[in-house]
Amino acid sequence: MIINHPLLGPRDSAEFTYLGDASLIERPDWQAEDAADQFHDYLYLRDNPAGEHRELWFHEQGDRSWLVVTRNTLTHEITKVELARDVARSLGRSR
Amino acid sequence: MAEFSLYATPALGGYSTTHDGIALEELDGLGLISIATPLDSDAALAAALKKGFGAEIPAVGKVASSSDSKIRFLGMAPGQLFAAFEHDGPNAEGAIADKLAGAGYTTDQSDVWVGLRIAGPEVRTVLERICPLDLAPNAFAQDKVARTAMEHMAAIVFREGEDGFVLLTARSSAKSFLHALEVSIANAL
Amino acid sequence: MSTQDNRLSGGLIDRERPLRFRFNGEELQGFQGDTVASALVANGVKLVGRSFKYHRPRGILTAGSEEPNALLTIGEGAYAEPNTRATVAELYDGLSAKSQNHRGPLGFDVMAVNDFLSPFLSAGFYYKTFMWPRAFWEKLYEPIIRKSAGLGALSGEPDPSSYDKGFLHCDLLVIGAGPAGLAAARSAARAGAKVILADEDFRFGGRLNAETYEIDGRPGAVWAEDTAKALAEMENVRLMPRTTVYGAYDHGVYGALERTGDHLPDTDGKPRQVLWRIYTKRALLCAGATERPIAFGDNDRPGVMLASAVRSYANRFAATPGKRIAVFTNNDDGWRTASDLAARGVEVAAVIDPRDGSPRAEIPGASVFMGDAVAGTKGRKAIREITLASGRSLAVDCLAVSGGWNPNLQLTCHQRGKPAWNAEIAAFVPADPLPVGMSVAGAARGALSLQAALTEGQAKAEAALSDLGFKVSGEPVPASSDESFAVTPLWHVKESKRRAWVDLQNDVTVKDVKLAHQEGFLSVEHLKRYTTLGMATDQGKTANVLGLAIMAEQRGISIPEAGTTIFRPPYTPVPIGALAGRARGKDFRPYRLTPSHDWAEEQGAVFVEAGAWMRAQYFPREGETHWRQSVDREVSTTRNSVGVCDVTTLGKVDIQGRDAAEFLNRVYINGFAKLAVGKTRYGMMLREDGIAMDDGTTARLGETHYVMTTTTANAGPVFRHLEFCRQCLWPDLDVHLISTTDGWAQFAVAGPNARKLLQKVVDAEFDISNEGFPFMACGEITVCGGTPARLFRISFSGELAYEIAVPARYGDALIRVLMQAGEEFGVTPYGTEALGVMRIEKGHAAGAELCGTTTAQDLGMGRMVSKKKDCIGNTLSERPELNREDGLRLVGFRPVDKSHALKAGWHFVSKGSPTDMAHDEGWMTSVAFSPSLGHSIGLGFIKSGDTRMGEIVRAVSPATDSDIEVEIVPSHFVDPEGERLRG
Repeated sequence: MIINHPLLGPRDSAEFTYLGDASLIERPDWQAEDAADQFHDYLYLRDNPAGEHRELWFHEQGDRSWLVVTRNTLTHEITKVELARDVARSLGRSR
Repeated sequence: MAEFSLYATPALGGYSTTHDGIALEELDGLGLISIATPLDSDAALAAALKKGFGAEIPAVGKVASSSDSKIRFLGMAPGQLFAAFEHDGPNAEGAIADKLAGAGYTTDQSDVWVGLRIAGPEVRTVLERICPLDLAPNAFAQDKVARTAMEHMAAIVFREGEDGFVLLTARSSAKSFLHALEVSIANAL
Repeated sequence: MSTQDNRLSGGLIDRERPLRFRFNGEELQGFQGDTVASALVANGVKLVGRSFKYHRPRGILTAGSEEPNALLTIGEGAYAEPNTRATVAELYDGLSAKSQNHRGPLGFDVMAVNDFLSPFLSAGFYYKTFMWPRAFWEKLYEPIIRKSAGLGALSGEPDPSSYDKGFLHCDLLVIGAGPAGLAAARSAARAGAKVILADEDFRFGGRLNAETYEIDGRPGAVWAEDTAKALAEMENVRLMPRTTVYGAYDHGVYGALERTGDHLPDTDGKPRQVLWRIYTKRALLCAGATERPIAFGDNDRPGVMLASAVRSYANRFAATPGKRIAVFTNNDDGWRTASDLAARGVEVAAVIDPRDGSPRAEIPGASVFMGDAVAGTKGRKAIREITLASGRSLAVDCLAVSGGWNPNLQLTCHQRGKPAWNAEIAAFVPADPLPVGMSVAGAARGALSLQAALTEGQAKAEAALSDLGFKVSGEPVPASSDESFAVTPLWHVKESKRRAWVDLQNDVTVKDVKLAHQEGFLSVEHLKRYTTLGMATDQGKTANVLGLAIMAEQRGISIPEAGTTIFRPPYTPVPIGALAGRARGKDFRPYRLTPSHDWAEEQGAVFVEAGAWMRAQYFPREGETHWRQSVDREVSTTRNSVGVCDVTTLGKVDIQGRDAAEFLNRVYINGFAKLAVGKTRYGMMLREDGIAMDDGTTARLGETHYVMTTTTANAGPVFRHLEFCRQCLWPDLDVHLISTTDGWAQFAVAGPNARKLLQKVVDAEFDISNEGFPFMACGEITVCGGTPARLFRISFSGELAYEIAVPARYGDALIRVLMQAGEEFGVTPYGTEALGVMRIEKGHAAGAELCGTTTAQDLGMGRMVSKKKDCIGNTLSERPELNREDGLRLVGFRPVDKSHALKAGWHFVSKGSPTDMAHDEGWMTSVAFSPSLGHSIGLGFIKSGDTRMGEIVRAVSPATDSDIEVEIVPSHFVDPEGERLRG
């Protein structure tokens, strides 16, 4: 597999470590009324799509960037690769 | 006067040999300092780098040089570069930190990595046995730097001349890394 | 020595270079340019092996990698390589080959009795027969079956050959160097693209070398040679003969096996094979096509050969497989075998073509039977006679059979491609979706004529290159002929009286396919598994289409309706040795060495692998004969005076930034916001699910500068986790991470004399007295006259202890200095064993306790979890199940009978309770012999352990029949008040 790193270009997936669903970026607010339920869903509930899947990969043997990779689970086609930090900010995560 | 004194031991014992037209040697006196850009302070770091070294901040994967060509700045990661230069003794960090005057967070990486210089007309034939990156001259230009893994070991690669490369690898596994290079030379040439 | 009776004139062999070789001990001769198979053909050898199941005599069927029969063991002793296809094995001087799968000599195999038992050994035989009694399977049936089945055997010795791997990159990978591949590579190379041209053969040209066609007025083989020579001179081209592209992987990655040394008598220490990972922008499959046989009675007799193979042997290798040959073909191409043989002066007895109409060519001296078919053969170990459906008999010593051509589309299926039926050539052809970036040209996609191959090869290459932005030349396509491949399918000859073979490698007959149908195994996938059709080393290259066509016929449906099995990598077998590459023995993985490694080796240290690290386990001294003596001494000396241990392997992360404190506060369960500069604090991290992940100390060296340590094993995962937090969760904290693990040589100096020792080393201006540098202090100092260093007053051993770090380059010098400076105190180095003993004596948790199932609460650190702040794992650590009253607690254990040695892994059961899972109360995690106490001690988790001090429970191990009484005690066995480490 090849991951087309947004800054470095195509790199062998052997340089990367997989984590899981990109929804892990959206960590709930610990002070929410139903924080325990929210954390439960955040940690354990996943969609398992036959098709496009957004997932987190770490460029461990590279620039140490976390990436959000959009991959089709049927074809393995990778349609988009973004810096996870940019994605996190676009989701309103900050400090 | 201290009772004891410490000597420095090169990780590979100052290795230097030539096999089959490939010169392979451990870099002597490598200064390697990481510089992290404080959040939202890219401009301040750029100015300090310009003022202190006459260098631009390199993009990730690119190499920039100081105006006297003595320091290479390697773009390692978003918000992180390495300064690589010749330096004897343990205080390489000062050479960079002093001129940055707080514009970047510096960490001494000189002893984290070991530098190896490998050069010769067939250098790419040797490296293709362990390096997953395309090192052909047009694919890996003079101003390029990349971090990857070779034989499961971290390696930072940049060019030195037409048929030469500098490989930085972790000090603790440097002997295994050197062995991988020796085997590659023996196998490929 | 045999005389190469069947050698013809001409051919692409070098008669100046004769080669000697042995087959089953007999000395034979061939020439440079021969394969083992062609040399055997030249020597008139027909019988080369016994079949897999029935041990029937078998001969060479093909002249390529699709060979099902001629599998030989090549090489001697440990070098012997079983199941080598003689048809692709290049002959070299001194080569030794042996036939396989027979007991006794090849000519008289006692296992051939299986053939007479064949009525009992039909498809599904094993499934039906060896079901009862059940207990017989493992002891009786399987050993016998294993012994009687199978192909060649391994030597049982380590493989003495070496292997390697590598990585290649190109714009266009051309797979196959036949006419299509050569035309493609030529065109791509001229456009300036980076081209790799790979072919499994040692000679480029593909079928051109086996045929008599002309290209641009030159013989095809000459054109191929000229084109390859021109390509070899271009810098942007890499020619890879003897290289099989065996797999098409995601995103343009291909696997290829280059046989760099298999054709040499001696590789001179170089690798025998190199496994390449090829990164391509585009790939063009020009793998050609494979001829298929027709099934008829006794069609497996040695001397029955594919028509194209007969042509290859005659034209390319100047070796005729027979002196009186008949040709049986259902297509026009088969006729070329007859004409080529006749042109070379070989007697063609007959051409039999099941199609009606007039003969397709004039073959001098041959009888022609149109509308007839071969229905049987006679002969013992070689063919002697054929019988036609019409009843005629003919004496022949070779029968060339052609049932048409199957495109070599295997690689197009390696991802999602499912072949489609092409009625015109009566074969499956590649169909979408092809692997990304791949296109197919020539015979591999069913364009069988030479002109079509050349035209398509060039056109597809140009299309791929235009796609990549190259300017293509648009030069004229080499000119050749557009010969006919017209075919009328014939799968098996119904008039056959005896068994007709479909898959020669697996001994599958037409009857077996019919039986599968009869028993309801209708789908092609079931057919394959029930009969083993298409399995083993050849993967049914000559058999598959035949088998499923017969199944379609049985079901009364069309072939496309019946469908086809698809293909997985590898295209041809890849030796395990090649997959391992150079990663064998000590080179299996890299080693990490600590800065004191050389010194420790000089001391005679015994090392242990800790992850990739080699760590000193203990340092035996003269007179110590058991490891325990060394470890006990190391512990006692440290506890009574001073010891030194290399702790460089602990992960170190340099953390800087205005928000570094806040960041630490969120990744550790305990507070870090108020840690003062010059202080160190123990910290524990949880996973988000509330389970303990890692622990260590973090030192604050400056306002915005911290150094975190992690456990040795978790250094990588923790760093990754921290980067995740930094980049994905809190992207706008000003915090920066970099690993410095390898940069510092770090030593623990522990024991009552630790300070005295260090005072001799630390430069005088730094006060390390208890007041000036109290417990948990840290600082940047200098040692030995100005060498920069870091000092941390932390203790894992429970003694007065420091960790001192210098840049790694000084590590070797520092350990020697510490030993010298400590001489007056009788200092000892200690290894991981003593380290472990002392931490157990002190009740510190380590890997066995932070095992991925335990919480801070379980570890006795529940109170550390700050409820006033957010941190990773905080919310879910509050789940009720993780906070049960009767939850596990880490406590100490000691044997009631002090002479007993405790064992890790023992489970705890209350006295009087039965020994079963329902009464399991916990388990022992770590044990040691405590030299300080003089008996065995342990740490472990037990329910409500903190409230059960003094209780006696049983520690049991049903697996080893152990059951002893242990007492629950506090986990701090030594210095429970912590006076020593603060002293």
